[in-house]
Amino acid sequence: MKRSVPLAIVMVGGILFMIQYFIPHQHSQTLFDYYTEWAPIVGAFALVLGVGSLTRLHSHKIKRKAKNWQYSYAVLIPLFGIPFFALIMPQSLGGGMMESMGGDRLTQGVFDFAYMNIQVPIQATMFSLLAFYIASAAFRAFRAKSALATVLLFAAIVVMLGQVPIGELIGKWFPKVGLWILRYPNLGAKRAIGLGVGFGVLATQLKIIFGVERNWLGGAGE
Amino acid sequence: MSIWEKMLNLDRRWIFLLIGIACVVPFFTPLGLPILPSQEVVSIYDYMENLTTDNAIFVGFDFDPGTAAENMPMGVAVLRHAFARHIPVFITAYGPLGQGMAAMALDEITDEESDDYYVYVNWEDWASIREQGITDRAGIEEAWIAAGNTLSENAHGWVFEGRDVAFLGYLPYFHLVILGMSSSIASQYPTDIGGTPLEEMPMYQEHKSLRDIDLAVTTAGSSACVAWITYGREKIGLPVAFGVTAVMATDYYIYIQSGQIIGQMGGLRGAAEYETLLLRDGYTKSPGKAFVGMDVQSIAHLLIIFLVVLGNIAFFAGGFNKKTKLKGRR
Repeated sequence: MKRSVPLAIVMVGGILFMIQYFIPHQHSQTLFDYYTEWAPIVGAFALVLGVGSLTRLHSHKIKRKAKNWQYSYAVLIPLFGIPFFALIMPQSLGGGMMESMGGDRLTQGVFDFAYMNIQVPIQATMFSLLAFYIASAAFRAFRAKSALATVLLFAAIVVMLGQVPIGELIGKWFPKVGLWILRYPNLGAKRAIGLGVGFGVLATQLKIIFGVERNWLGGAGE
Repeated sequence: MSIWEKMLNLDRRWIFLLIGIACVVPFFTPLGLPILPSQEVVSIYDYMENLTTDNAIFVGFDFDPGTAAENMPMGVAVLRHAFARHIPVFITAYGPLGQGMAAMALDEITDEESDDYYVYVNWEDWASIREQGITDRAGIEEAWIAAGNTLSENAHGWVFEGRDVAFLGYLPYFHLVILGMSSSIASQYPTDIGGTPLEEMPMYQEHKSLRDIDLAVTTAGSSACVAWITYGREKIGLPVAFGVTAVMATDYYIYIQSGQIIGQMGGLRGAAEYETLLLRDGYTKSPGKAFVGMDVQSIAHLLIIFLVVLGNIAFFAGGFNKKTKLKGRR
């Protein structure tokens, strides 16, 4: 029962909505509209599960003083603190979320402050670090050791110069050749990969719908 | 240890320092290098040029702060273009952080201290005009001016909430939201983020579902943009344009070639190209952030190429291609 009911739901739902896609009838559309309203509600239960699981994991870490247990506070405090300020705390005490534009948001609460002054700079910094590591990695690892590596090296240099205005000052052909590489060799390779991935996804989805692939149920398909 | 080996064992902190200098200096000494728009960007721009007040577009802020340096100028440029041409814009976000990005973009465009700003007119502020039954764009502006409102010197125009823009924001399971909006936008977003009912907005009354929308521009730092193709373009024929990071841009040329997207802004370069077109046609008075950022990217790319070439010279001149490994710390 524990396995056959979910399998039946997946099979019926999968086949139903596969067929629905190709039926341009009002009833078919109504069914689909029901689905789009229901799906997020069902998905909301996953949020409860996720928050519960995360809370349990990190509170156990703190209780047991496991390795790096201090960092668990950095997860739990914002996990509950930010929604508290956004949804429960009154606006007069720094609560609420951004609601309108055009200057009104200057009176920002804790939620906005945390977003603008913590989350945005942290994420931007993390991504910016890539420039430094890529430069260092390119210097150390990008070698013309073989014919294929040499082709890759030259293609990379041409595309890099073709993508920036200074490349055109160095040689008028850089942007043209760079775009040609992107539009033709790159496109051909990406399409081949995309088709392969697409067929793989299709096969996997059919296997799930028809109950051949059951790993998602847990227990490695037993 | 030979000079070549010393060169190859260069402490990475020197490289970090060089990149740091290359990224900072051009901000203080702009080079102003010219940017030639590519066909991929021109096609989006031209498509927007053919839209009018009777059309409507979606702009998706489908990125996080991590890629804001590349994606934000794209979103800002498209919004400026739409506001200048009075094309109604529905603003959405694929992820929760994207909503804040969209708010920041609107803040930037309505910043009174900038050279190119728009005056944001809140929904409540023009309620009296709606009560008179005026809902067309030209009529609203005429009535607004007649009420004694004037634009300052640097302002490009007014943006009327509910007529020119509806900030819908983020909803979870956004691919389902796109699917749902193909039947009715209000079924997914009964109100905008400020709580204004969508049903009351003039722009919604003229464009009730994605089938009435003429373009969706998704600015994305992840594969979130593909959802607009899968569920918008393929299901109901919604025209879609991409604004993606440079790293991702190579992945999406296939959609341009197949005609599934009308164009693509690839990375900071793509945003700078759009800004150049806006500047050329007088929609802005000064180049935007992406244009300035291209100087930084030019110098940084040159430096990385120089380092790669230097590394290869040292590698081959030192004969390391014949050895199994280098001595020392790498």
